[in-house]
Amino acid sequence: MKFEVHLQSPVGGARTRVVELERTGSVYRVKIDGEAVAADAVQVSPNTVSVLLGGQAFEVHVTPSLNGTIKLQSGPHEFVAELRDPRAWEGRRHGAAELEGRQQIVAPMPGKVIRVLVRAGDSVEAGQGLVVVEAMKMQNEIRSPKTGKVERLQVREGQAVNAGELLCVVS
Amino acid sequence: MFKKILIANRGEIAVRVLRACREMGIRTVGVFSEVDRNALHVRLADEAYPIGPAASRESYLRIDKLLDVATKAGCDALHPGYGFLAENPALPRACEDTGITFIGPPAEAMEAMGSKTAGKQLARRSDVPTVPGTDDPIEKPEEAQSLARTMGYPILLKAIAGGGGKGMRVVPNDAAFPAAWRDAASEAMNAFGDPRVFLEKYLIGPRHIEIQVFADAHGRVVSLGERECSIQRRHQKVIEEAPSPVVTPDLRRRMGEAAVRLTRAGGYVNAGTVEFLVDAELNFYFLEVNTRLQVEHPVTEQVTGLDLVKLQIAIAAGHRLPFAWESITPRGHAMEVRLYAEDPDNNFFPSPGHILSRHAPTGPGIRLDEGVYEGYTVPMEYDPLLSKLIAWGNSREETIARLRRALDEYTITGIRTNVSLFRRILGEPEFLRGEIHTKWLDELLTRPRPPAVAPREGTEEAAVIAAALWHIEQAGRSSLAHPESQVSSRWKLHGRHEQVDRTP
Repeated sequence: MKFEVHLQSPVGGARTRVVELERTGSVYRVKIDGEAVAADAVQVSPNTVSVLLGGQAFEVHVTPSLNGTIKLQSGPHEFVAELRDPRAWEGRRHGAAELEGRQQIVAPMPGKVIRVLVRAGDSVEAGQGLVVVEAMKMQNEIRSPKTGKVERLQVREGQAVNAGELLCVVS
Repeated sequence: MFKKILIANRGEIAVRVLRACREMGIRTVGVFSEVDRNALHVRLADEAYPIGPAASRESYLRIDKLLDVATKAGCDALHPGYGFLAENPALPRACEDTGITFIGPPAEAMEAMGSKTAGKQLARRSDVPTVPGTDDPIEKPEEAQSLARTMGYPILLKAIAGGGGKGMRVVPNDAAFPAAWRDAASEAMNAFGDPRVFLEKYLIGPRHIEIQVFADAHGRVVSLGERECSIQRRHQKVIEEAPSPVVTPDLRRRMGEAAVRLTRAGGYVNAGTVEFLVDAELNFYFLEVNTRLQVEHPVTEQVTGLDLVKLQIAIAAGHRLPFAWESITPRGHAMEVRLYAEDPDNNFFPSPGHILSRHAPTGPGIRLDEGVYEGYTVPMEYDPLLSKLIAWGNSREETIARLRRALDEYTITGIRTNVSLFRRILGEPEFLRGEIHTKWLDELLTRPRPPAVAPREGTEEAAVIAAALWHIEQAGRSSLAHPESQVSSRWKLHGRHEQVDRTP
């Protein structure tokens, strides 16, 4: 799979890197900005990836955040990243990347579902609001990452949800 | 010895007390508020009972509910931990009425030593040096100002009912006195409903050094040496160490003797801490007594080899202090950092929430006292202390190196922590030389932050690869979690993987 990764860090500023991961057997072949790199990447726990880059060892912790970006931490260093799948560019709306296949929409942080904007079976556009989750006194609209159909709705209004809890499935 | 102890607290200290009880073969009873059902102390206790809503005044501060649980569960003793009711004399009184032993000082000793002014009067009577100033509140501002002139500026104004820096003002010179007096009195009125203020000589750049004392019910009082707690952010300790980098054996003996005199004069029993301010000439002045176990007690445990919670329990059960000495010599060096769920990049704003993943440091010279675990949601209702990371070694240098190593190993995702603050402090040359005082950290935080160190080559590439891999695996897990695509048997799944993944 090929991704455009928009990175932001205090030291490096903003930049875009293109990364390709191709699975061969149990390992991935990795290209960065079109060039093959000797990388061995393993997800050692749900949010932690160990990367050996030409023998240099790195550990990267991945945390999804509310606005769709992900935080990457390696030791004291932090990056904020946004992932885009270049193949889905034409279909994207509202500046967000559109994802393919069945998508599970999960709560990005603990909170309370205060509004459900769709019903199971509804057709939705990419970027359309699905559920509003209130967390730490802020209302966050969770949007559909793709154009498709709401296959399942897992929550109802008033329900408390934990981070990572399934809200709905869009296929 | 006791058969069953009620632990009237939550979080890491409840876990700490529970562990001591378990080692002593005593059964433990935990209590929890509505938001604490998943807390670690509830999971580890032998028994646990709900005591009401999240707000602590309706749960952890309700003496009636605590004693009701203690009675029904058949407890013969109660440990208050620190915070909440630990320094409220109403708790030991209620325990006495119910026939349950309170693991801590008697109510009278709490009253005689706990309040700032009572403690200071006791110190004067037991020949313990105090910061020059008035014991009693002064009513007339003119009278206070003329007293300030004779004492010499700078002067500190403090609220009688004070705490947490409220109603406190530093007066640099005579001209600033009237305004500072008005501000301190009105702030004290707002915060405590009591506008009374007293004067103290303001020490420039003092250290906060405290003595751990223990007294048994048979008249024996000992000092377990000092802890240096000068690294504070707005009067809150964030790093503590033992021994202090400046305390000499002679000073340790003199401070220990002063603390023991005071403790004895107050009729004190059990664990207590006598806090002192120490000036640049190593003169020490009594500050106040904490009539409970301190948050930072582990550093004393590491350099003395003693378990202070077990000692507390033994003393409450009427045992004698098992030592032949009046004071001790610390062995090696220990240092503790308080890891909080707060964001150092956003003015230390509390950052509770769900802990997605966590890796705890281990290895030589490392101890972690904590009340959290992976998957736990840190509630927003209480103090956001996550863990106390304690390192010890042969020297201060080795201890700091271990602490830095452990901080590098410690990872927690999903919430923000103040780990970066400690990385910064532990790299500051003044800190490494031990040249610290109670305002040092506040001053450090007003300085511009050192430029971020450029990450080692490859870090960015590794981060990008990790992001992509995580995304792919996440998508893979989503489809697996879906019933239609789920394989009924783990064996079948394994078989499929075997066929797909030729290279093991």
